[in-house]
Amino acid sequence: MDLDLLVGALTAGSLYALVAMGFNILYRPTNVFNFAQGDLVMLGAMFGATFITLLGLPWFVGAALAMLAVAALALVEEKIAVAPVLKNSASSHGWVITTLAVSMIFANLVGLGWGPDPIAVRPPAPLSTDTFELFGANISSYQIAVMVITVVLVLGVEAFYGTRSGKAVLAVAEDRDAALLRGINPNRLSSWSFFLGGGVAALTGVLAAPVLYASTGLGPSLLLKGFAAAAVGGIGNNRGALLAGYIIGLVEAVAAALLSPGYQLAATFAVMLAILLVRPHGLFGRAEARAV
Amino acid sequence: MGDAARALIGSPRTRPALLFALALALYLAPFAVGTEYRLFIATQMAAYVLVAIGLNLLNGYGGQVSLGHGALVAIGAYTVALAMVDHQWSFWPATLLAMVAAAAVGAVMALPAFRLSTWYFALITLGFAEVVGGLLTEWRELTHGFAGVVGIPKPGVLGHTLTSFDLYWLALSLNILALLGMANLLRSRFGRALVAVRDNPVAATAAGVALVRIKMMAFVVSAAMAGLAGALFAVQKTVVTPDDFTADFSIFFLLMVVLGGAGRLWGPVVGAVVFFLVPELLTALQSWRMLIYGVALLLLMLYAPHGLVGAIETGWKRLRTRLGLSNIPPAPSTAIARETVHPIAGAALSVRDVEKRFGGVSALAGVSLDVAAGTTHAIVGPNGSGKTTLLNMISGFYPIDGGAILIDGRSVVGMAPHRIARSGVGRTFQTPRMLPQLSVLDNALLGAFPAERQGAAAAALSLPRARREQMASLGDALRYLDFVGLADRAMEPAGELPHGQQRLAEIARALVGRPRLLLLDEPAAGLSLAELDRLGELIAAIGALGTTVVIVEHHLELVANICRSVTVLERGAVLASGTPAEVFSHEEVIAAYMGSHSSVGQAAS
Amino acid sequence: MSANDLLQVSGLEVGYGHVGVLRGVDLAVSEGEIVALVGSNGAGKSTLLRAISGLLRPSAGRIVFAGQDIAGQPPHRIIDLGLLHVAEGRRLFRRQNVHANLELGLYGARLDRAVERQRYDFVYELFPMLAERPQALAGVLSGGQQQMLAIAQALMRQPKLLMLDEPSLGLAPIVVDQVMEVLQRLRAAGTTILLVEQMVERALDIADHAYVLQNGAVIGSGTPQAIRAGDLIRRAYLGALSDREA
Repeated sequence: MDLDLLVGALTAGSLYALVAMGFNILYRPTNVFNFAQGDLVMLGAMFGATFITLLGLPWFVGAALAMLAVAALALVEEKIAVAPVLKNSASSHGWVITTLAVSMIFANLVGLGWGPDPIAVRPPAPLSTDTFELFGANISSYQIAVMVITVVLVLGVEAFYGTRSGKAVLAVAEDRDAALLRGINPNRLSSWSFFLGGGVAALTGVLAAPVLYASTGLGPSLLLKGFAAAAVGGIGNNRGALLAGYIIGLVEAVAAALLSPGYQLAATFAVMLAILLVRPHGLFGRAEARAV
Repeated sequence: MGDAARALIGSPRTRPALLFALALALYLAPFAVGTEYRLFIATQMAAYVLVAIGLNLLNGYGGQVSLGHGALVAIGAYTVALAMVDHQWSFWPATLLAMVAAAAVGAVMALPAFRLSTWYFALITLGFAEVVGGLLTEWRELTHGFAGVVGIPKPGVLGHTLTSFDLYWLALSLNILALLGMANLLRSRFGRALVAVRDNPVAATAAGVALVRIKMMAFVVSAAMAGLAGALFAVQKTVVTPDDFTADFSIFFLLMVVLGGAGRLWGPVVGAVVFFLVPELLTALQSWRMLIYGVALLLLMLYAPHGLVGAIETGWKRLRTRLGLSNIPPAPSTAIARETVHPIAGAALSVRDVEKRFGGVSALAGVSLDVAAGTTHAIVGPNGSGKTTLLNMISGFYPIDGGAILIDGRSVVGMAPHRIARSGVGRTFQTPRMLPQLSVLDNALLGAFPAERQGAAAAALSLPRARREQMASLGDALRYLDFVGLADRAMEPAGELPHGQQRLAEIARALVGRPRLLLLDEPAAGLSLAELDRLGELIAAIGALGTTVVIVEHHLELVANICRSVTVLERGAVLASGTPAEVFSHEEVIAAYMGSHSSVGQAAS
Repeated sequence: MSANDLLQVSGLEVGYGHVGVLRGVDLAVSEGEIVALVGSNGAGKSTLLRAISGLLRPSAGRIVFAGQDIAGQPPHRIIDLGLLHVAEGRRLFRRQNVHANLELGLYGARLDRAVERQRYDFVYELFPMLAERPQALAGVLSGGQQQMLAIAQALMRQPKLLMLDEPSLGLAPIVVDQVMEVLQRLRAAGTTILLVEQMVERALDIADHAYVLQNGAVIGSGTPQAIRAGDLIRRAYLGALSDREA
């Protein structure tokens, strides 16, 4: 197997897994799948590019500011587009359209504000995108960092679900009324989850920027690939998302190598549909309990 | 307001005339104001309306958000373009192929999504749109890549090549046909089933509706209409390129539906007209357009979920209320006399050693009971003893962990719940599962779903045999509503009935399906004493029809009065069974209810 | 109503949509008592508890707990005041383990570690079977163990008033005995209890006072002896079973 291809697949797969994890963070307490998540990632990349490349701030400061800004925007999204719809009817799917609308608003505001040209972002100081040879593969220190950071983040977020607040989020996901009766306020948890999910999305964007460039085009493609990773991994399952992210990355890389880069998305989509046809709740997901 | 205004608003008869006049005006309009450019725009708009009408079926009535209808239009347009340019097909078979292609490709894509939550479908269709958009440029051997397909000829009929006037009339006629067909379809079993699947899948299943199949039906119809619109689009523009079908293209249709009014027949038409008019006014704001659309979509969903048409309806109802007119339409006048209901041949039920576990808890541990055909049997027992679980297993809502269930000697183990319902098992639920926005009559008509045989095409075309069948169902529904005592409330929204009457309406719905086995889950819970008496009489009357009735009930007086036999469950096992008199004098039965041995004598003395 | 009423409900009305479920309910629970609330299915018992604990918003009436009107307050505020509700059907978090379920009982309590430790010790001592399997998922426990866990989860907040909805649901008589015994021990330790129970006799056996609910209204109340002596229960609960046999 071509090892360079594997390196590229794992790097891209890591980013898809991070997008999927952002979805999952929001999904757990709200059962809302945020259609604007791709745009939150894109906003992270744009803010990162602005702070780091255009304003010349240190990488970590720029990344932190980008995370804060996007987390705040995600919170605004929750307040204006998600909470009101869920308040009317917790089972309605009106949020599909409202979060889609927010996605359109974010994407077009960014288009108006930043223009269509991609902005290059450099990696933080000791890291570089220059490749060197390692075990016969061409790899850059930044690619290694992205892969490692992804694994650490997934483990870190999973560790959060071991804390009392994390358990409360899982409790809300399982039985909202029972959670209410234990003093858990689902509305507050969903606000916090949007804030946290926004932060993770922004970090994903900042991490992706040196590899993919920061541009408005980032949103839709990451939305779909992140969804593919989340669905294949099982919605709500972050470790599943990590593995599924790698799978999606590999499928893409193989499709690009064997067919042409233009068929990447089609191949990913076909693989995802095939997996969902056999396992509707993904490779690592479980069916929701039936309510009769 | 004067009497004339009141008469105008109050009369439903003016509507067909107004609509006919509107159609006539649209047919004649080109003679008055028909420039090439205006005809081009109008024909294009008509193609869009066609897509939006189809999308409304899926989204407004079916509750499924499709973000891929633009891609289906693209498939239709490219199919026609390639068939006509590369293979010299004539327009008409090419159009048929376009509709089939859009429906088939769409169905393959939608199949996995329909088994999952609504939003999966939205994302999968979004992905589908991106994939199709990509393939249009990428798959050059087929699609000619960026250049697209040029020189698409105008369609011909008997040697006459259609002019832009003709194309406009064709598109307009297709719109009118689509609206009429849609109105017919929505009035038929399919419309009700679709709304039931959207608003209460459990009730739909219990009425014998196959959820995935009905969603797929809506999608296939909707996709075929998009394919048809694509065909019009191609011959009208004479050129198709990948640029015609950007990612935003699919969003436009969703916007039209939401703007005009999702789930309203005229919504997509109004939406498309506004959608075409506004950009003309906003040309100065070209770069802001998508942003404005996003904001519009958000505000509409939050403040006017049924769009412009929904807002007009609300205003209209308020106006009528102010004028003292009723908002409840008159009941349909049907020629069918409300003759007495026909007898039903009951089915025998046999439950053998049924087991069910939930996690670490055993809900049913080897329950057996037999109910003779045509008798009324009660299952009683304390809360949590497994009564409702048993009903859910008989009707197939829960899979069985062990044992057998036979209805008239045929095993129903492993059958999907809608299939069990279709084989003649009706049921009600502890909390009535009504479709609150539909009328009581429509709720009852949902029960006729399995009995009717008409297909979607027959329903849309309103063929004579479909109409006869619908009239028969209507007669049945009115008759059974009369039977349960709700005939006078038939046209009210079901959600506005009090609890006790919702229960009766639910029973009527089950009866319209003419069940050979009827399962009633705590029909007496929450009823007033007067309602309780009526319920007793009603169940006795249902038993007299011949239907086998199995009733889960706490109210022992009711049980004693109407049931021939009783099974007592406790903690998932049969504690006693026999006639009511035998069972209720059983010491352990009373102990199970009261929880104490010492005081049985006191309580029962 | 007296001065030592911990909970006073007056004129409470609750409806779902157009449907009125509670029609002017009056009820009082004195400190240190076990009060039983009985009535047939659909009488409105669970709705009453759900309104008291803030899951439902009453359309009229007052709910005064420990001197504060809590009608319409969000559940977490009501819990902070010490009013805990163990819902019908053992609503645990089945995908989490026993210990995590108990920990969720402490959510929002902001206690010292030492105090939290004491709470765990208290419930593990009260329910030794939970102490044996702290890592077991709640979903795989038996029905009785789940009920114990649900009560234990509420006890983590050291409630002043514990409301239980049908704790005997689907349990073996011997397990029901254990539940009732636990309730009596809790009363001895100073916890006030409002018990909704279909096993009327079991409830009356341990109750200090009882209310009979029918069709969304209280049709009578009194001591268990008085309730047993009258025919309220026969009217509201047993239907004509007792009439027919009399």
